[in-house]
Amino acid sequence: MRNSSGSFIGRRKPAVATVLLSLAAGGLVLAGCAKKSAESEAIKIGVVLPITGREGKPGQYQKEGIELAIKQINDGGGVQVGTRKLPLKEVFYDDGSDSAKSAQLVERTMSSDGVTAVVGGYSTALGEAESVMPDRYQTPWITPGAAASSIFAHGYQYAFGTLTPVNLLGYTTAEFLGTLVDQGKLKKGLKIAMALENTDHGVDYGHGIEQWISQHPGYFKVVFSEKFDLGGTDFSGLLQKVKQAKADIFLSDAHLQDYITMQRQYIQSGMKHQMISYGARGPEADARKALGEGVDYIFAGIWWSDKLPYPQVKKFAADYQAFTGRKVDSWYAATAYDSVRALATAIQAAGSLDKTAIRDQLRKLDMKDSLVPGQVLKFGPNGQVNYPFVIVQNKPEAKVDIVYPKDAATGEVIAPIPAGKK
Amino acid sequence: MTFVDFLNLLIAALLLAGIYAVMSVGMTVIYGVMKIVNLAHAGFMMMGAYFAYELYQRLHLDPILAALLAFPFFFLVGVAVHWLLVRWLPHSDRPTLQSLLLMFGLWLVLQNIGYLIWGNTDRSILSPRTLALVHLGPIIISSLRLVVFVAAAGCMAVLEIALSRTWFGRSVRALIQNRYAGRIVGVDDEKTARLTFGMGIAFAGVAGALLATLYSFDPDFGRPFLLRAFVIIVLGGLESVSGVALGALILALVETFSILFVPASYQPAISFALLVVVLVVLPGGIAGLWAKRRRLA
Repeated sequence: MRNSSGSFIGRRKPAVATVLLSLAAGGLVLAGCAKKSAESEAIKIGVVLPITGREGKPGQYQKEGIELAIKQINDGGGVQVGTRKLPLKEVFYDDGSDSAKSAQLVERTMSSDGVTAVVGGYSTALGEAESVMPDRYQTPWITPGAAASSIFAHGYQYAFGTLTPVNLLGYTTAEFLGTLVDQGKLKKGLKIAMALENTDHGVDYGHGIEQWISQHPGYFKVVFSEKFDLGGTDFSGLLQKVKQAKADIFLSDAHLQDYITMQRQYIQSGMKHQMISYGARGPEADARKALGEGVDYIFAGIWWSDKLPYPQVKKFAADYQAFTGRKVDSWYAATAYDSVRALATAIQAAGSLDKTAIRDQLRKLDMKDSLVPGQVLKFGPNGQVNYPFVIVQNKPEAKVDIVYPKDAATGEVIAPIPAGKK
Repeated sequence: MTFVDFLNLLIAALLLAGIYAVMSVGMTVIYGVMKIVNLAHAGFMMMGAYFAYELYQRLHLDPILAALLAFPFFFLVGVAVHWLLVRWLPHSDRPTLQSLLLMFGLWLVLQNIGYLIWGNTDRSILSPRTLALVHLGPIIISSLRLVVFVAAAGCMAVLEIALSRTWFGRSVRALIQNRYAGRIVGVDDEKTARLTFGMGIAFAGVAGALLATLYSFDPDFGRPFLLRAFVIIVLGGLESVSGVALGALILALVETFSILFVPASYQPAISFALLVVVLVVLPGGIAGLWAKRRRLA
């Protein structure tokens, strides 16, 4: 409806409303800017780990290690970036132990969330899937839980890992068994049966063992080696084949859940070997809870132990317990904790949030108060660290001792497994 | 391979078959009567595992006894789920998309309830039987597996008796053969369907409780067993309880013995290769083959 001047009746009302709406919108934009500005005062770190699904338990431990490191850094005022001290802000996603989802979530943190770096990838399979993203988005990525050397063999420039390669785990395992022969605890020429998970992790582990054996002829002989699928429910057929191999030593490379299932069926099969190992798994509280004395005398090559005689390890173990209310279980949280510390050190050295500068500083990193065996965290030219493993052995009454190397040992190795056990 | 090795493997396969049969039979009876592919079966198995775990942890109740208690408990749960959800589904002689989606959704809900209550931590039952062995000369048998097998075989025997000697069993068999003809001769199809659904879920709960004594579990527990259950019921002929027992035995034998000739990493492929072969060569399963033979005779 028009008035005599041809304008719309009541035109002033929409005009006022428009002004008010504009002011409100402007206010919202300003508020958004203010919020964004506050957010940009923090260093966003993407964290992609499995806290549900098959790898949920170790993933949860790694998440706790990361969060403890972030808390401690923030409690100390944050990371010095040039003239400012900025806090770390975690952007967390659970990949549900699904490798496709894992890669997709890392891509999301790097492309949409604007993170400065990503810490993620527990287990070789998930780490492998994630590892293609860092170079694509030129964003540093540190995996605290994927150790297969294949991940670091592609020449990626932004991928780093705080776990020593798995072939070294296999090598150290065989080397440890070799020292038992030298000490007269085991006889020379013993036969080994291997059951390895069907992943790069399992392949690397087997290669490491065979490499040591080929370099030290006469010590051991591999009479059986076969792969199995991750997440199996029934290993009785595989174990029957192990039984038929009539080996003296049983070496498996398995993830936590498979270790528990396989060891349960191993005991139920009535088999006995002079030594048993499940690669990097052995001292976990879940295994002890599930099988009780059924895990006694199992030895494991692990990346870290709370028994390491370093003051920073004792402090970490105490801090972790205060933070989570639980004792630190195996190595998972420690490598994750050190990943964040390594990243913070690199950011501080870079003096900016420039991702390439941070990458360059990670390459030069030489963290001398690390939790890992040897106390030095240093990335190799391929992005992976290379510190030594420690061998631990489960003992009766839920005791776990470092038994190798000698200078870190907290107890004597029991070998062979006493008759009547296992 | 020595004779003792062969016997050891045969016994392992038989013990495995008992577990496979009890975990598949619930799906079969539900499919037979209602033509519903119960994807939520895995969810109820998971709940059965936690049922046994909680009774063991809180009341120190023997897990095998807990498995027996799981039957009435999950029967009631099944009847309630039927009353709340399943009865609203359209009746059909074939599986419908609605039923498939409903059951899939229910599985997800159960899984998430599991995560909410118990988190993602792996649980397991460590009873005095867990590590015990029975030595029969050179043959070694896990006493727990033996007990689980006896419990599973007992459940199957009770089901067989119930189906062959009771009015309810005759009603179930009538509806499996022809729902509409069953109604004509006076079978209360709604009531029978409700009780059958309850029974199917009860078997899922029992299977879960029994499996909890053998494996560690989390809220995702049941998924690999569900896939095997599919293979077994297709082998058995979808609607036959005795076919399920035979299907379970065949799958267990094939899985156990084939591993001697192929690498262990191919074990999951063996089940599915078997499924494909049965679908192509024997689409009616073993029960279909029996029916054909009877017709020819």
